[in-house]
Amino acid sequence: MTWSAYLPVWPLEISPALWLALTLVVAVLVGEVLVRQLRLPRIVGYIGIGVLLGPGGLGLIPQLPATEWRLVVDLALGILLFELGSKVNLRWLKANPWIAGTSLLETVATFVVVFLLLTWFDVAAVTAAVVAAIAIATSPAIVVRTVTESRAQGQVTDRLLLMTALNCIYAVIFHKLAMAAMHGQTGVSFIHTALQPIYLLGGSALLAWLFGITFERIHHYLGHHEETFSFVLFGMIAFATIMASTLKLSPVLVLLVAGLVTRYQRKRTRTFPPHFGSAGAVLVVLMFIANGLAGDLNGLRYSLLLVLLVIAVRTIAKLLSVLALAHYSGIGVRQAMALGLALVPMSSVALLLTLDTAATFPDFGSGLGLVLMSCIVILELVGPIVVQKALQIAGETPDKKT
Amino acid sequence: MSLMPFAPSRPLSIGVELELQLLSCNDYNLSSSAPDILRRVEKRAHPGEIKPEMTRSMIEINTSVKQEYSGLVEELRALRDVVRDAGRFLNVAVAGGGTHPFQHWSEQKIFDAPRFHHLSELYGYLAKQFTIFGQHVHIGCPGPDEALHLMHMLSRYVPHFIALSASSPFVQGHDTGFASARLNSVFSFPLSGRAPFVLCWDDFERFFGKMTGTGVVETMKDFYWDIRPKPEFGTIEVRVCDTPLTVEIAASIACYIQAMSRYIMVEQRVAPEEDDYLVYTFNRFQACRFGLEGVFIDPRTHEQRSIREDITDMLGRIADHARELHAVEAMERIRDILIAGNGTSWLRQAYAREHNLADVMQLQAELWMGK
Repeated sequence: MTWSAYLPVWPLEISPALWLALTLVVAVLVGEVLVRQLRLPRIVGYIGIGVLLGPGGLGLIPQLPATEWRLVVDLALGILLFELGSKVNLRWLKANPWIAGTSLLETVATFVVVFLLLTWFDVAAVTAAVVAAIAIATSPAIVVRTVTESRAQGQVTDRLLLMTALNCIYAVIFHKLAMAAMHGQTGVSFIHTALQPIYLLGGSALLAWLFGITFERIHHYLGHHEETFSFVLFGMIAFATIMASTLKLSPVLVLLVAGLVTRYQRKRTRTFPPHFGSAGAVLVVLMFIANGLAGDLNGLRYSLLLVLLVIAVRTIAKLLSVLALAHYSGIGVRQAMALGLALVPMSSVALLLTLDTAATFPDFGSGLGLVLMSCIVILELVGPIVVQKALQIAGETPDKKT
Repeated sequence: MSLMPFAPSRPLSIGVELELQLLSCNDYNLSSSAPDILRRVEKRAHPGEIKPEMTRSMIEINTSVKQEYSGLVEELRALRDVVRDAGRFLNVAVAGGGTHPFQHWSEQKIFDAPRFHHLSELYGYLAKQFTIFGQHVHIGCPGPDEALHLMHMLSRYVPHFIALSASSPFVQGHDTGFASARLNSVFSFPLSGRAPFVLCWDDFERFFGKMTGTGVVETMKDFYWDIRPKPEFGTIEVRVCDTPLTVEIAASIACYIQAMSRYIMVEQRVAPEEDDYLVYTFNRFQACRFGLEGVFIDPRTHEQRSIREDITDMLGRIADHARELHAVEAMERIRDILIAGNGTSWLRQAYAREHNLADVMQLQAELWMGK
């Protein structure tokens, strides 16, 4: 018997999972420090640690296997999207059509200004359209997480959740149409250019609807047993996410619409625990770290000016759109400012759409995709702080910190 | 500061104030949306008044001066509809009921006005715990002495008003066992209870002068009495009722008080006595705790019966007065409450069915707003 039979071989062979575990601990601790010392949202810590330690930053953590990560990210994002959908009351749009109007205006304005900016920088029209479409989406992950953490409630909070859900749906749709146009340019026949978005949207809607009604049945049957219920829900979300990818549908659309469908069909409102229980909360933290790890700031080297201009025009478009219709939709100027700013964060949904585009068109990934990635990293770090401050300005967070 | 002179008002005219709950449509918890609702209703013409209250999750509707049931209920419906429509536009539900079943007082925010901030500083957490919802009924009086007479005579019947309007069994997530738990919050204020036994206005002014002299009070508003004179309106104000679950019940209870006042002024004509108050707090407690089943002790005959029996008896005695006041329909609704139960029994039944206070609150809001 030799030493090596029972002692570890030097140098130690460390699996990436160990680094990940350590990162989780450090990120959560940093998050707590931010909350206690600086009153900043915890997720800034999670994302920040990811960016800092990941390949884009100090490079302490090696690139992690993409497929394993992807499941965690997809499941966590699925939970957040479903959560967002189930918090949103679509019937409100009927009672107050001005909110639907604000959402449409904000979407179109964002698309148009980003598109014009990029074409002014001599970007090809279809590529500009793809980037502009992705820029529409407000991050559901950051919004849901920050609203939950700050225990905000009120007009701005309700509208923020509703308009985030809507602009994500629009972003996915615009993005698919722009992608179809890109395909058209690369010489795919018209029939496929036209049918692909239709299949994607129709299929996603159908899957979402099936998910929604199944969920309501199960929820009705299981009643209030919270634990059992959250297990079933995670299973369903994982199933729907994988099913959507397998069928080449949009997981974002499926989970978001499924949440909207369940809420719309429900007679009684239900309040679920944040992220449907502590298991969901762990996944959400992991997702934010993963988003940080995937963060790539090379776009700043590519074109710092363009990155900053995209962020600036996008912010102004959203802010002015909300301000323009504030009076008609029944909120004051202060509330409208808060709402317009709170729509600024970009994160997971934009990231997924960017990665999807880059997977299909590698040129995009090494070009404008980098600019977009940098915007996402910046707005991911700044976003939670902006949302938190906006909700405070609107007076929708509890009076005293507890 | 001296007391305002007692303004003239038409005898037996009525006015109603109702404090309403503003709720988030997401979880039916209280929502601090009074400023948003008020900004919205400002733009719409409506009768009466819509005003802020102590915390931002409350709003108050006031009718103008009315003579009889039909006009009163019509105006209350109009006010309800204006607030309801503003609520729908803002994703806010509106409901009656004396308490919110599971709100947490520490989460309430004080409405941004000097008077409310002052009260909040003075009373501390009591001010936030004052997120409770009551109905106030004004009865016009021919003169100040008559007002004091009516106030003391009506005091005997305070348990009636409490039991009929009771709709606050749940507080902080639990069934308190009380029919009106709301009044327990009122009793914690130092100047709550009953008015002093003073029968003429000059004496009352002297009492008020002494109280302001001590620096304890500045205006009549600082007295949280069950019934108090309101000299600037020329009325007395009955303040013990919970906001009922519908405007129709609110109007009926107001007209029950109106008909009883007519009976007291026109037919009964007995002088109040200090000893009438011997059983006052006992009777009031019975009404808060047990509602219509509570024990009622007659201060003069010492006879014991249930509050329900005493109301049935009173309905018989005031029937002619109610007819004179065109309040027959209101009396029918009062009789219905005696049979079917008050708001508290409706809420307890709803909870037994739904097992969830948020669902109860949703049903309560749907009942208030009408389909």
